[in-house]
Amino acid sequence: MNMNKKVSFTALFLIVSLIFTMTSGFVFPVSAQKKQVSLTAIVAEPKERWDLLFNTALQKLKQKHPELDIKLDYRVLPYDATRTQILTAMAGKTPIDLISADQIWLGEFAQGGFLTDLSDRAKTWGRQSDWYQTNWDGGKYNGKVYGIWAWTDIRSMWYWKDLLNKAGVNPESLQTWDGYLAGSKALNALKAQGIQPMHLVGASHSPDMWYPYLWMLGGEILKQKSGHPTKGTYWYPSFNSTRGVKALGFLKQQVDAGIKPQVSHFWGQEFADRKFAVMLEGSWLLGTFPRDQWPTINHKVGMLPAFPVPNKNTKSTTMMGGWILSIPQTSQNKDLAWELLTTMVDPSVLTPMLQKEGYLPTQKPIGEGPYAVKLNATIPYYKEMISMIPTAHSRPNIPEYPQIADSIKQAIDEVYYGMKDPKQALNDAAAKSAKALGW
Amino acid sequence: MSNIFAKAEPYLFLTPAFAILLIFLIFPLFWNIYISFHDVSFITILKNWEYSGWTNFVDLLNDPNFYTSLRTTVLFVAGSVALQFTIGMLMAVLLSQKVRAAGVLRAIFIIPWTISAVIAAFSFKFIFDYNFGILNYIFQQIGLQPVGWLSDPNIVIWSLVIANVWYGTPFTMLFITAGLLSINPSIYEAAVIDGATKFRSFLRITLPLLKPFIVINLILITMWSVNFFDLQLVMTGGGPLFASTTASLYMYRQAFEFGLLSKGAAAGLILIIINISVAFVYLKLLKR
Repeated sequence: MNMNKKVSFTALFLIVSLIFTMTSGFVFPVSAQKKQVSLTAIVAEPKERWDLLFNTALQKLKQKHPELDIKLDYRVLPYDATRTQILTAMAGKTPIDLISADQIWLGEFAQGGFLTDLSDRAKTWGRQSDWYQTNWDGGKYNGKVYGIWAWTDIRSMWYWKDLLNKAGVNPESLQTWDGYLAGSKALNALKAQGIQPMHLVGASHSPDMWYPYLWMLGGEILKQKSGHPTKGTYWYPSFNSTRGVKALGFLKQQVDAGIKPQVSHFWGQEFADRKFAVMLEGSWLLGTFPRDQWPTINHKVGMLPAFPVPNKNTKSTTMMGGWILSIPQTSQNKDLAWELLTTMVDPSVLTPMLQKEGYLPTQKPIGEGPYAVKLNATIPYYKEMISMIPTAHSRPNIPEYPQIADSIKQAIDEVYYGMKDPKQALNDAAAKSAKALGW
Repeated sequence: MSNIFAKAEPYLFLTPAFAILLIFLIFPLFWNIYISFHDVSFITILKNWEYSGWTNFVDLLNDPNFYTSLRTTVLFVAGSVALQFTIGMLMAVLLSQKVRAAGVLRAIFIIPWTISAVIAAFSFKFIFDYNFGILNYIFQQIGLQPVGWLSDPNIVIWSLVIANVWYGTPFTMLFITAGLLSINPSIYEAAVIDGATKFRSFLRITLPLLKPFIVINLILITMWSVNFFDLQLVMTGGGPLFASTTASLYMYRQAFEFGLLSKGAAAGLILIIINISVAFVYLKLLKR
């Protein structure tokens, strides 16, 4: 009898389940008719900016496509892991719909066939003219658009007003090489309090902090040259020009003046912790201060939108970084991924994130238009930082760039530690770079 | 038929182990060799791989940074192995005496080995920092000049050795402890009766009986030190001036930072040869 009851219960359960499954399409008609689409993304830390961007952009995308049930799965990884994960995913042909790429990775990814050519889509989109030219060009490789430079950062000079005041150093005087070195000497007394006068980058990204000196003197990292063994015309090192030697000479002067290269880098935290009176650092430095201090930070912390120049007649410049949004070739939803991308960089979506995180725009409607008012009211020194963008430079995005940067870093270290003079160091680095470029 | 099966049975039981060995050791080794003889990089990985012959090995052997990394490896391994072994042996011998709370002390000394290498590396990066590090703070408090633990090319490798010794010594301590526990105590009793001092007993009884453990321990810690690159990658990135770039870090950077997978594979093969040579030398010593 018990067995019969069990069999009956089981049969009844199965029948009910079957009926439910068959009729669920009628009970929840909208869900059943919606096509499920999952978008995946690999992006770099920090996570908060992506949460903000993706949430807003996804809502708008869903509104545009009520017929789709769109889900977004994104992985936020540390910087180095992002590049490795993207490369591993691409090599393994894992479907990924969107990635954030550092501008210097673009050439490597594009040449490896990892990225979708977005040229036609970008043309139809028609927003090219909204971008600052350097930032638009930064998303191109071999004349084709492979990514959209979403936001940027610049490097400028930050200083503690009270420390400079005490030492009798006029901040404006730091804008020339001689003034910078003199300021360093005047601030030497701070060492007794455990505060270093000036920060000098000795970490792996030291080339990034040297390039502005090269550029302000009219030099270039690479130039096009004909006669390449396999490529006809290709890039050739030009950083070892007399301008490059002069630029590296300034770093040597800083070391000779007692400024110690810092091997460890804490991305502005060391400045916020008052370990340094003056620091050339990226605009992300603001993020090391609590948000509630931003409205009054200019009372304590000064910012000069410039790298020191050899003389007052030289125009300063800076280096731009930031993140490019790209669509991998392995994406199975390229059109939808493109829509997501363009929605993310829409000023109405992007501006709140820039405002919250303190990043700088790559497009004129945000940098100069109505949205600029919001950012100007929130981000300290916003106007000054924006003023640097039109004259800022970016690094090459060719596949060989990591090797070239490594050679330049070695040259800088050799000068820092007195092993070679700037000319010899740069010539040796240029020889290695030329080899890496296939010459 | 049953006879054939009976003979094949032991080999059948080895099949799972052999399958794992094949998938995770033999295949990757041969694949590595294959890659090292072709032009494989992040740019060409999805395209046809061209045969490049010995080009990758020639490039490697023509790279002065590779020789620098080999020299750095010798310093790092020699320093690490010597100190890990000496300190580990000392700790094992001392704790094998009738010491109060020896078990608790052993548990405390093992802690470094249980921590992830990356965590240990970050900790030492802060300890050795020129401006913020506790070491230089103490030095300044007692009137000494701060030291460029990670910024001085002449000192940085020894800073890494210190970190590696802190991290790896517990293994030697454990391994030698296991060896000491395998020695019959009655041998020492007999030695005492014969008038042997503790030091003489250690030299004439303990060390000879520990020889197999010592050799295997030396092989393991040497190979681990040769292959270890977490500390260098996190603490210094290989700088300054390649002074802390060991061969394993050089290989990693070639493959994953520069995207030169075949050059990294070639460097990896040379590392394997080094490891096998070292193991061969140690085993020869064991046979003596």
